Amino acid sequence: MKKFIVLSVVFAMVLLAVPPLILAAKVGEPAPDFTGTASNSRTYHLADYRGKFVVLEWHNNGCPYTRKHYESGNMQKLQKQWTSQGVVWFTIISSAPGKQGYVDANGENTYIAKMGAAPTAALLDPAGTIGHFYDAKTTPQMIVVNPQGVIIYDGAIDNRPTDDAKDIAGATNYVNLALGQALAGKPVETAATRPYGCSVKYKGSWF
Amino acid sequence: MRHLIVSLRLSSLLVVVLALLPGAGASAASIPHGTVDLVAENQWIAPGRQTYLGLNFQLEKGWHIYWINPGDSGQPPRVQWHLPDGLSAGEIEWPAPRRLGASTIVDFGYDGAVMLLVPVRASSTVPANKTARIVAELSVLVCREICVPGKTQISLSLPIESAAPEPDARGSDLFTTARKSLPRKPPDDWKFTVNNKKDSFILIAKLGRQISRAFFFPLAESQIDNSAPQVIVPAATGFQLTLKKSDQLLAPIKRLEGVLEISANQTYVIDVAVGNAL
Repeated sequence: MKKFIVLSVVFAMVLLAVPPLILAAKVGEPAPDFTGTASNSRTYHLADYRGKFVVLEWHNNGCPYTRKHYESGNMQKLQKQWTSQGVVWFTIISSAPGKQGYVDANGENTYIAKMGAAPTAALLDPAGTIGHFYDAKTTPQMIVVNPQGVIIYDGAIDNRPTDDAKDIAGATNYVNLALGQALAGKPVETAATRPYGCSVKYKGSWF
Repeated sequence: MRHLIVSLRLSSLLVVVLALLPGAGASAASIPHGTVDLVAENQWIAPGRQTYLGLNFQLEKGWHIYWINPGDSGQPPRVQWHLPDGLSAGEIEWPAPRRLGASTIVDFGYDGAVMLLVPVRASSTVPANKTARIVAELSVLVCREICVPGKTQISLSLPIESAAPEPDARGSDLFTTARKSLPRKPPDDWKFTVNNKKDSFILIAKLGRQISRAFFFPLAESQIDNSAPQVIVPAATGFQLTLKKSDQLLAPIKRLEGVLEISANQTYVIDVAVGNAL
């Protein structure tokens, strides 16, 4: 009997672990849970943040599109604006060791301090596990999860898919739009867009 | 042997001298990991006629630029034209792209050498016996494993003459190659239909013969899943291709437009009405 329970638990764990790999994250569906180690050396579980809005931001500090939003201060502004309203913000780095954007904890902490970035935490994902759960394709790519744990936005940061910081002024920021509408209790009008930027530099990817 | 070396040197000297001559052979500007120059098809511009210019890219091995729909990442080149009054540039005519990448991130673009054709129309009132200075301000993203954005300006001076324009021999090979790489209009007796399923579009082609290999490049972003395998089922008169819908496609589409590749030299522009949901 005991053996049966152990086996069942193991089986259940296998079942729980498998679906996110098969069912890539999609707007309107539950956000795959993950456990991430942050540059601040703490561990974060997405499931612990039910009841809050969560923003996931894919990041690569060498990517010209990421640099557009950081060197202009745009991303930091968004992080401060929304975390001050109780939104949880995870910057996620899925670059593999040796690839552009890969950083260790110290490297990321130095970057955060230098850029004045203000995410809740920066999660180090060198194996690409979280990235593949969400099928993240570009940096930046933005995902918004609602307090029920459902994805309500997945896509680009804004509607100007360029690497030119001059294009930020006047752009429609999809994260602001999604969070603004959802916090006001309205449905998110633009729930999925094509993310733009550099490809995520996963382990084993050649470009 | 010595003669050969001397003549080789002479010919390379000749190439350099030709490149320095004013007119069609403007010098190449550097972009990240490559060069680009502006090439004219004809020796001069004639009032009331259309001519073609080429944005001639040469990229280092392994580096690529993007098609009009770049796929999952990247950005197509953008040009801002500065032209004298009476001249107007049309849209870029894009050669059929290549599929770049593998696994979960798939882009569409060009590696090695590619020339993008741009039609330039001269109004009938453009004064002859003058010189037109054509300037292209170019923004281009060049990628291998990483991406490097570049900006440059390339220019060309062409005489305006009322006689019918004659081709410039220096660019003729480039234009021949570029035209061959453009996707063509399919033959009139080919028939395409698109069935709309919940998670996919089924492209059915009737071409009068069995086809066992095909790839569809969507013109618009966010319609089909770029990295999903395109499963082909050959039929006696053509094929059936399953195109998984993009997760970003939240509203129905009326038409599916893009480039269909049957072999490296056989690419076609197709624009097919999407049938009702099955």
